[in-house]
Amino acid sequence: MKRSMLLVGLTLLSLAQAQKTVSLVHSGAITGPTSDVGGPYAAAIEDYCKYANEQKLIPGYTLNCIVRDDQYQNPNAQRFLEEALDRAKPAVYLGYATGAMLALKSLIQEVKLVAIPASAHIGLIDPPDNTYVFLPTSSYSEQVVALLEHIAREKKGAKVALVVHPSAFGRAPIEDARKAAAQLGLSIVDVQENGGSLDNTALLRNLEQKGAEYIVHQNVAGPVANILKDAKRLGLDKKIKQLGAIYTGGNDLIRLAGDAAEGYLWASSYYTLEEDTPGMRLHRELAAKNNRGVLGQSHNYTAGLLAAAIAVEAMKRAAQRFGRIDNATFYDALVGMNGPNAFNPGFVVKTANSPEIDFTKSEQTGGEGLRVLEVKGGKFVPITQPFTSTLFRKVHYGK
Amino acid sequence: MSDFFQFLISGIAVGSIYALAALGFVLIYKSSRVINFAHGQLIAIGAFIAYALAAWLKLPIALALLAAVLATGLLGFVVERVFLKRLVGQPIISVIMVTIGLASVLDGLMYLTPFGSGNFSYPAFLPQEPLRLAGITVSYPQLLAVGFTALFLLLFGWFFQRSTLGISMRAVADDQMASMSVGVSVEKVFALAWAVAGVTAASAGMVVGTVSGLNQDSLIAIGLAVFPAVILGGLDSIPGAVVGGITIGVLQNLAAGYLNRFVPGGGTELVIPFVVLLVVLWFRPHGLFGTEEIERV
Amino acid sequence: MRNPWAQTGNYRTSYEQDTTIFATYREIASVVALLVALLVLPQLLERSQVLTLNFILIYAIAVLGLNITTGYAGLISVGQAAFMGVGAYTVALTAPYLPFYLTIPLGAAVAAAFGAIVGIPSLRVKHLYLALATLAFQEIFVWTVGRMPALAQGASIPVEMRNFLGYEIGFRNHNHFWYYVILFTLVLMVIAWRNLLRGKYGRALVAVRDNDRAADAMGMDPGRTKLMAFALGALYAGVAGGLLAYFQRSVVIEEFTLAKSVGFLAMAIVGGLGTVVGSLLGPAFIEYLQLSMERFSEWIKGSQAIQQIIPPGVDVASALLPLSFGLVIVLFLMFEPRGLYNWWRLVRSYFRTWPFKY
Repeated sequence: MKRSMLLVGLTLLSLAQAQKTVSLVHSGAITGPTSDVGGPYAAAIEDYCKYANEQKLIPGYTLNCIVRDDQYQNPNAQRFLEEALDRAKPAVYLGYATGAMLALKSLIQEVKLVAIPASAHIGLIDPPDNTYVFLPTSSYSEQVVALLEHIAREKKGAKVALVVHPSAFGRAPIEDARKAAAQLGLSIVDVQENGGSLDNTALLRNLEQKGAEYIVHQNVAGPVANILKDAKRLGLDKKIKQLGAIYTGGNDLIRLAGDAAEGYLWASSYYTLEEDTPGMRLHRELAAKNNRGVLGQSHNYTAGLLAAAIAVEAMKRAAQRFGRIDNATFYDALVGMNGPNAFNPGFVVKTANSPEIDFTKSEQTGGEGLRVLEVKGGKFVPITQPFTSTLFRKVHYGK
Repeated sequence: MSDFFQFLISGIAVGSIYALAALGFVLIYKSSRVINFAHGQLIAIGAFIAYALAAWLKLPIALALLAAVLATGLLGFVVERVFLKRLVGQPIISVIMVTIGLASVLDGLMYLTPFGSGNFSYPAFLPQEPLRLAGITVSYPQLLAVGFTALFLLLFGWFFQRSTLGISMRAVADDQMASMSVGVSVEKVFALAWAVAGVTAASAGMVVGTVSGLNQDSLIAIGLAVFPAVILGGLDSIPGAVVGGITIGVLQNLAAGYLNRFVPGGGTELVIPFVVLLVVLWFRPHGLFGTEEIERV
Repeated sequence: MRNPWAQTGNYRTSYEQDTTIFATYREIASVVALLVALLVLPQLLERSQVLTLNFILIYAIAVLGLNITTGYAGLISVGQAAFMGVGAYTVALTAPYLPFYLTIPLGAAVAAAFGAIVGIPSLRVKHLYLALATLAFQEIFVWTVGRMPALAQGASIPVEMRNFLGYEIGFRNHNHFWYYVILFTLVLMVIAWRNLLRGKYGRALVAVRDNDRAADAMGMDPGRTKLMAFALGALYAGVAGGLLAYFQRSVVIEEFTLAKSVGFLAMAIVGGLGTVVGSLLGPAFIEYLQLSMERFSEWIKGSQAIQQIIPPGVDVASALLPLSFGLVIVLFLMFEPRGLYNWWRLVRSYFRTWPFKY
């Protein structure tokens, strides 16, 4: 009773101000497995929503942010999405886990709701049921292919091993990596799954025997840190170079691996916290203002800001172009985000010939630019110019 | 061949961690027949207390470790007093379920601290360079694991053979009724078992922390790795816990070394302990050193 | 049996009477009333509320099975979710070729076979050791699915059913349609459960649980009885898994992990071990506990006054869920080991003699 009265009160209030409300719903792992990623990600979405309302970024609308903790459990994610569909009628769903997003794909397709997940599993934007899923930055597969290209530039015919997380998340890029390696003249000597062992001697010795010169990781920071430390202990740190995709790196890796992280190469689409771009200035400002501490130093906070920023920008454009924000206008605004209308918030590196974030109906990846960063003196420092994988689209789509 | 010895040594180091964790687990089972599903949480809490003391209060690391060990021992004691004492005489399934509930409560308590999510690592206190001997390398955290296990094994050996308290614990494990009738305080023994379990769990947690950094999920996972070790060694045998732990550690490393190349994707080291667990249950359910129960109607 | 509508005590005088499903007409009437209420209920609710109900009913089927293994036979199982997984994956593989009323029983049969295999150590060992056998199965199951390309290595396998005998099923009516299917299945499973356990077999289970040597001496085969209990428990899990696959429209490995198995045990304990009412109340209680804790933590997050008291870095909202879940289990075991079923029993016996005191 109280709740409904409150609702009525709120509705009257919003009518009085002639402000319409638009909702954004996020469900992610704030606690439970992978909460080291989900925590900062959700915090950033909350902070950006507050900021969007303060700055009145969406003309004529108040943004209602629903951020919920699914604890990495699919039934929770499913329930949050359906509750939102029943009650708040969100214009966009900011999803999270690979498993939950893959499971929800057909529902998302049916209700024609745009979903922007934290997971960059290529299967999310591959058919079937892929019309409404959009990745803010390049997919895991594209990141790994880009890393292979980087290796091929460094050393022709190099022997590469893949070490991946034992889950759909980890296994996503294997197939494309094999195809890309064949094209690049690299040889994939082994693919091993590793979800964090206390000792990786056997893994590293086996890879050494197979002649691996590079290890490419698609994993989370913990297991990679252990492998780096063991490689250093075994004296393999000079012999085998290690690289990894987005969730392997960042401050967490340095915190866990310490000195052993030196020389590790990381493919990241995001600017570093120190860089002076509008996006990173906003990152620093919001993290400080909301007292986010360690959470605010994570690149996952940047990722959360980016996802929220894309959503808010598309809402703004929908409001300006169509005068109303709903599923359909949001989708149209989002897929119109290209060419001169591309979105440049300054979170993601851009290459000379492409904008920062752009989407079309068939191109569902936002920022395709990425850089390779290296740990030098306990910090990730970019060592390449921003580039886009030239090979990925060829090996994945065959074009 | 040098690979084989390297795998063996690494396996022993990892196995020592399991053994350390298993010691406390077996102690609880031995005295009170409780399978403790909250052991992983004790491990994590011990490790985090040490971190908090060392990194925030800037205590010297040795002092922080010692204080954390004692604090976790105290936690074990309190847990027994508050939750398990009331369940003496209840069906064993209730007691086991209580430990499952406890695991969740302790998880929740960890979420109240910054440790619930995120990764941490201790300030470096051991030499970074590994020891090299005849082509085999061992890191100092690994030595620490082996050292801790040996230390506790010696302490336990002395404790159970020589001290009155230790002997009364053995008596309770053997026959609760009989020991009560000769004046042994069963309650005291149960509480003590939990306190000592807390102590060994914290030590295991700190070793894991120095080896691979602190993350709630991976620390709790050690609690799960204990099961194959204790079943292999025999649920109620302290030497069994050590032998079982080290065997599982070695088997994991050998599997990773020699089996993974035959399995696409590898990762056999994750499943081998549980296969061993199942096989032991089929063919030798009381493990290597466990006592076979003789029951009367 | 004087007045079958207002029976004030237990007047059972023969074994036949003791094994009847319903003791009084009033019980029959209340079950009918409950069923009618359950049939009408979803018509009054939002889709997402029906979604929660569906999860509760599916979990109830799994918990019913657990109540055979753990409740009746006293064998702790921490592998119920893996058995559910067996059912779900069987459904995922056969759904393109067979209708759901065939795939789900098939999944149940396969799950039962797995249950019998996992139960093999029960021929030799007792309670605690068996818990660890199920733990091993749980872990081996998840690992193996991750290695099988035929099962998408644990990633999503879509299970779509858009049409049933010409009736279109879509987002609009998906939850409601499956609600009735699940409810129907649940009723069938409950009837089977009662029929199975009120007779000879149920008594054998209890005898074996309480003292297997004595049961052996009385001519029951403890090993076979326990094996059956495992297979039956797994069969129920298989049915639940199959329903979950259709209802979630996909099969993903995260649904069948150790944490889920532990959750089922908690539901069984909170509901009251070995009872039908408990199997329904337990899942409902745990699910609604989660919902209300979510509300509460959102309220905490939204309240400025509370946020100011809490020191930075402390996340009360996130801690609430595991804390409350664990405390509920612990407190129930400490103060109400017979679970919610006991409350239900007290209420019922109060009303049985109402308005008289006794």
